[in-house]
Amino acid sequence: MAYRSDDDYDYLFKVVLIGDSGVGKSNLLSRFTRNEFSLESKSTIGVEFATRSINVDSKLIKAQIWDTAGQERYRAITSAYYRGAVGALLVYDITRHVTFENVERWLKELKDHTDAHIVVMLVGNKSDLRHLRAVSTDDGQAFSEKEGLFFMETSALESTNVENAFKQILTQIYRVVSKKALDVGEDPSAGPGKGQTITVGNKDEVTATKKVGCCSA
Amino acid sequence: MKSGNKDDPRKTDGSLNSLDRRLNQTLKSVQGLLKVPGKILLSRKGTEPAAPSSSASSENPLRKDIDDEAGTGPRNSGVQSASTSKVDAPRSNGSNRSDGVVENERPSSSPSGSTGSGKGSSADSSRPSTGGRATDSARVARFRKELSSPAVNLDALRELAWSGVPPDMRPTVWRLLVGYAPPNADRREAVLERKRQEYVDCIPQYYDISDADRTEDERTMLRQISVDAPRTVPDVPFFQHPEMQASLIRVLYVWAIRHPASGYVQGINDLATPFIIVFLSEYLEGNMENWDIAKLTPEIVNNYEADCYWCLSKLLDGVQDHYTFAQPGIQRLVFKLKELVRRIDEPVSTHIEQQGLEFLQFAFRWFNCLLIREIPFSLVARLWDTYLSEGDSFPEYLVYVCASFLLTWSDQLQQLDFQEMVLFIQHLPTKNWTHQELEMVLSRAFMWRVMFQQAPSHLSSG
Ligand SMILES: Nc1nc2c(ncn2[C@@H]2O[C@H](COP(=O)(O)OP(=O)(O)O)[C@@H](O)[C@H]2O)c(=O)[nH]1
Ligand SMILES: [Mg+2]
Repeated sequence: MAYRSDDDYDYLFKVVLIGDSGVGKSNLLSRFTRNEFSLESKSTIGVEFATRSINVDSKLIKAQIWDTAGQERYRAITSAYYRGAVGALLVYDITRHVTFENVERWLKELKDHTDAHIVVMLVGNKSDLRHLRAVSTDDGQAFSEKEGLFFMETSALESTNVENAFKQILTQIYRVVSKKALDVGEDPSAGPGKGQTITVGNKDEVTATKKVGCCSA
Repeated sequence: MKSGNKDDPRKTDGSLNSLDRRLNQTLKSVQGLLKVPGKILLSRKGTEPAAPSSSASSENPLRKDIDDEAGTGPRNSGVQSASTSKVDAPRSNGSNRSDGVVENERPSSSPSGSTGSGKGSSADSSRPSTGGRATDSARVARFRKELSSPAVNLDALRELAWSGVPPDMRPTVWRLLVGYAPPNADRREAVLERKRQEYVDCIPQYYDISDADRTEDERTMLRQISVDAPRTVPDVPFFQHPEMQASLIRVLYVWAIRHPASGYVQGINDLATPFIIVFLSEYLEGNMENWDIAKLTPEIVNNYEADCYWCLSKLLDGVQDHYTFAQPGIQRLVFKLKELVRRIDEPVSTHIEQQGLEFLQFAFRWFNCLLIREIPFSLVARLWDTYLSEGDSFPEYLVYVCASFLLTWSDQLQQLDFQEMVLFIQHLPTKNWTHQELEMVLSRAFMWRVMFQQAPSHLSSG
């Protein structure tokens, strides 16, 4: 997969990956950004990130995706990195019901630490493990509708729906942001090369960044 | 680095003490690579009493954070009073960081055996190194002598072990260094037997019970450990053996149950692995890749697990608040790291700040896993030699190690923007590191500590 160079994008979106430990967040990320999967990945400590750019409506969207550690003990550290996120993939493991039960707690985390307008997608991962399924698609779907979340089942292993999930959330963010952009004038506070800053909601931080011009450093 | 060695303070000191010697050795081994901008004054701060052995610390489950923070622990004073040393940096990277004037440089007198046998006086060579120091025959002899003593002198052992322990002596040396095995040879077997039994008794009590008898928190913890066990050193197949997995889970779970203040925290699984391979090496021969834990008798498994358990406990006792709620210990060390880097290498520090990169973002994992994740697994036992030798001063020394580690790439970092830096630091190019690079990092850290502990606005002011 050939991606355009790093600096070459129209929008930069920060997206966070959250959910219980072991549900497959890091592998979803590596599948999406590097097309890699590993049965033997190490646990994530703290936060890590990776990026990839995709086209939406002929605009180049660069996603800066932050992967977080899932264990409760790390919340204090990781939640600091939710700041400025315009999207979140909340992942559970369809073979471990407890990871689905914990989704509500994760939603609360998001509510406490992010902007209300953040786009959230619920992701039921490991759909390849059909024989071990412990959470039905219907349950995932129903819960998402109730909470107003987007929903998708994925398999990082088989590469099913991974691309779709990220594309869909990035497209939704783009919709929100570009709609918002109509109401926002040029932002004089945007630094050189940082482009036009559009906040989703009214937080002070840079959440989505639109490049102005084509060749800023 | 030039070496002018007038004014040897030893004239008044009498014999070269061990820290002096270690410093010397360090200065030699980092020759030419030293990235210390400006000149540093290392003045003496009166004559401190000899450092009391820090071995007692390991008996004490509650660490003395305050002491560590102030950087005035007993061992540190030992270092401070060790000598006045001059380091005249060859390159300053445009930095104006300077904490004083240079006074004097240690001569290059090398205590026999501890300088790596003349190799590595300039570390720029790509000469392969397999821990030459650790296997140097004179050093091996000194280890043997020390270990065969009826009462091991722990200070002497620390001093020796700091620069690397010969692999076949590691199990014995580590058990002593952490204060698990008593220095007194007469008592040793009995104590080990008792403590091993204590561990073994924990298994039916805590581990081999039904889930219904566990609290909700305990179930969650066991689940987390079980999720992490297969993700522990996943690149070494031996760790994936079902028996090995079960063994790892037992050690971690028993540790977690008996340390409720923190409980199991992800990353502690990594910290158990150096102990696992070292204590198993007493019973399994040859390449670790071919080890088969299933071959061991239950009694041997018990012994090795107990040793891992106790040594892990001792190590973590010193950094308990790294793993308690909100992980204040780590936050504090990250803060110190940032300050230290600012003082050592202003340009890179400014660059990192300008790019908006938080130290916490990359250094959190470093402190949480004690750098184990950042270097090849084949080097972790060597890293542990030095850590365990530090005793009480370990957390504070770790800050210097992390600074030294980070600044290995000072020049590269300054070429990168925020995102590139994050990506670079997430996967630092250490894959082909040998003992040589690791020892470079450790030695430089040691040296910086000696220098900065004497510098005017001490790090601990933060
Ligand atoms: N079968 C299957 N296993 C997966 C999938 N995604 C991740 N895993 C495995 O689940 C474990 C945890 O994955 P990881 O990405 O580290 O989870 P994280 O803790 O949420 O980041 C690893 O052993 C992965 O190989 C998937 O889609 N299918
Ligand atoms: Mg992960």
